[in-house]
Amino acid sequence: MADYKQMWTDLGMDLEKHDVLCEVLPEAFGGIYLTQQDRPKGMDFYDFVVSEIHGVRPAEMLQHQKEGGKVFGTFCVYVPDEVVFAAGGIAAGLCGGSQFWVSGGEKVLPANTCSLIKASVGARLDKTCPFFLIPDMYVGENTCDGKKKAWEILAGEVPIHIIDIPQMKRERDIAAYEAEIRDFIATVEKVTGNKITAESLGAAIKLINNKRRALQRVYNARKASPVPISGLDALLVTQINFYDDPARAAQMANNLAEELEQRIENGLGVFPDKAVRIMVSGTPMAIPNWKLHHIIESLGAAVVVEESCTGTRYFENLVDESASTLEEQIRALAERYMKTNCACFTPNSARVEDIIRLADEYKVDGIIDTNLQFCNLYSTESHLVKQSMNERNLPFMHIETDYSEQDFEQLRTRVEAFLEILRK
Amino acid sequence: MLDEFMEGFASAREVNLMRIKEAKDNGLKVVGIYCTYCPQELILAAGAIPVGLCGMSENPIAIAEETLPRNLCPLVKSSYGFAVSDTCPFFHFSDLIIGETTCDGKKKMFEIMRDLKPVHVMQLPHLSNTKASFDLWVEEIRCLRSRLEQELQVTISDQDIWAAAEMINKEKKAIKAMFDLNRVDPPPLSGMDMLTAAWSRSFSSNKVEMVDNLNGLVREAANQPKNGRTKASRVLLTGCPVGLGTEKVIRLTEELGANIVAMENCSGYKTLELQTDIQGTDPIVELAKTYMAIPCSCMSPNPYRMELLNSMLDDFRADAVIDLTWQACHTYNIEAFEVGKLVKSKGLPYLHLESDYSNSDLESLKVRIEAMLEMVEK
Repeated sequence: MADYKQMWTDLGMDLEKHDVLCEVLPEAFGGIYLTQQDRPKGMDFYDFVVSEIHGVRPAEMLQHQKEGGKVFGTFCVYVPDEVVFAAGGIAAGLCGGSQFWVSGGEKVLPANTCSLIKASVGARLDKTCPFFLIPDMYVGENTCDGKKKAWEILAGEVPIHIIDIPQMKRERDIAAYEAEIRDFIATVEKVTGNKITAESLGAAIKLINNKRRALQRVYNARKASPVPISGLDALLVTQINFYDDPARAAQMANNLAEELEQRIENGLGVFPDKAVRIMVSGTPMAIPNWKLHHIIESLGAAVVVEESCTGTRYFENLVDESASTLEEQIRALAERYMKTNCACFTPNSARVEDIIRLADEYKVDGIIDTNLQFCNLYSTESHLVKQSMNERNLPFMHIETDYSEQDFEQLRTRVEAFLEILRK
Repeated sequence: MLDEFMEGFASAREVNLMRIKEAKDNGLKVVGIYCTYCPQELILAAGAIPVGLCGMSENPIAIAEETLPRNLCPLVKSSYGFAVSDTCPFFHFSDLIIGETTCDGKKKMFEIMRDLKPVHVMQLPHLSNTKASFDLWVEEIRCLRSRLEQELQVTISDQDIWAAAEMINKEKKAIKAMFDLNRVDPPPLSGMDMLTAAWSRSFSSNKVEMVDNLNGLVREAANQPKNGRTKASRVLLTGCPVGLGTEKVIRLTEELGANIVAMENCSGYKTLELQTDIQGTDPIVELAKTYMAIPCSCMSPNPYRMELLNSMLDDFRADAVIDLTWQACHTYNIEAFEVGKLVKSKGLPYLHLESDYSNSDLESLKVRIEAMLEMVEK
């Protein structure tokens, strides 16, 4: 990591505590990522981003602010990044993925709140992550109970715009979400001082769609057998896409996809052809949460697709680019985002259909449905997913875990047993 | 004597069970509900009987956990457990169930309950203070009206709704008057008395009788200046719903010699100040106003709960506050942070308890409540 101490000091970061993180992360990344064999060359960019994780991108954001630009921190795939980029702003996904920040969140949140919310709040309160201190505004949403109430506590800390996410997908709910996008546009225009036009929103829609297309290309390569890229590497690509520059992110993902398509032609895989192919579904894995992928892949099985916010729910479905007026574009945004099937919706049978479709497309041998401990939405919905998988005798396993290492061995044993059944 | 009235309320469950069974036999309909956000007025206006189904016993939790995750709140698990094991007669007699998207656990549980009975889920808004939320809720109540009309084969006129609204207004006034008896010191009603009376509301198939009994109790208490109870620390209970069967915190506090003088929970005072304006033009809009004002922690932000708590602490001259969160209830658990700040700002001891329906933590709860009571300056 180059020397960003001055930048961190100017941001008011707690350098002493941050140094502890700087020691832990390289070791974790090295042990999980750099020990992998035959990694695509295209992963060098992502390795570099991790090595400079609190340096390069934050510095770019600060430069953007120096030039009068604004930065918005977001925490959910239902926040339309297109609106922020259309107003010349930067949107960055901030979900916290490390146990390091959890205790900071527990100063104001109950212990039995999910790790992602505690880590996100903790990263802000502990001042140990530049991404949490740079934004001019946070964009919150009320997908789940924990987040809905956590924003009330953070509201005292930082300006927050709340996007009110419907809980059903009837016509009037899509219309309600459309109205929320209009409110969000008004806020973003006020904060950035820039008007959003059909032209700028159209460009932003293409910008983010291109990122989605590139990620879809990388994922399409994972449908091949032998799989040309590990699940860990694919997960890292998606995680970094949450906060990297969208144009660069699309370009880098396209480079990677190119290489993977070449590998498929040459029959080059990072797992043997007969390796067990696993789908991971459920709650998001925010960077640097690589725990479950690491467990599965260190046991010789390949994670080939994630039905998750840090997976297909992030990039599937494009925004209709033929929409030309602002009204049509807002409608197109609402329709696209409402195709995302998070368990915060009721009913949410479309998610089960996604899992069945993906299981076929990626030719998976088994599904590991996972939720962060204390997530009442995904843990309760897991019963309905299990029912459907059993009906189609798709091997299914449910795991509840958090960011700590305490249950690592126990999870490894359970996954190992599950893989043994699949190997029969 | 107050006791006669108390016996009436205590037997409400059995008495009304018989009545509901009879009513069912002559074609009357029963609608099961799980929340104070459900506009009972529409059920009454449809000529049906609203019945509260919130599970208040640990017994059916084990069977519920065969389907629901263990770390879901006990109220949701107990409610589902009664339903799936068909061991609650009121659920059994219900022709339609009404649910709301109040919290994550309930929202997803109702999806699973659909296999057992027809369930109509109302989408409760998240935000308490936007026009969009209010308009959504008005639309949801209209939608409920047509579902009831279709399911119960009735037409619900505006007139019916206004009459039902007036009835519920009266019921709230009567229950509030009962709770307000405890503003004096010593409080005439014990915590268990208050809970028994208030909880019987969820079974009462005859609202007029319910109101008469409550008014009778208040009159009786009024002409009994000396209620023979002793002065003691005055504790206000707040947090998750507490009902007959899950009253361990009330019982423990009173066994330790203190008085639970008021309950802000939804089974208590939470909704009682909210009267529906029956002079309005559209009954659905007026109902929406009343129900949107309910200060439950599932709403964001939830300032009215702090205002209500603040005035209750003064009106009931509370010496301390117990804030009970059922395990895995995120919204009340996180909002306890705010309640704690309010109570401490008034210089009162504040105890936040997290518990479930089992009796396994009775001793530790007792020790913690006792420690808090010692902090109350005599």
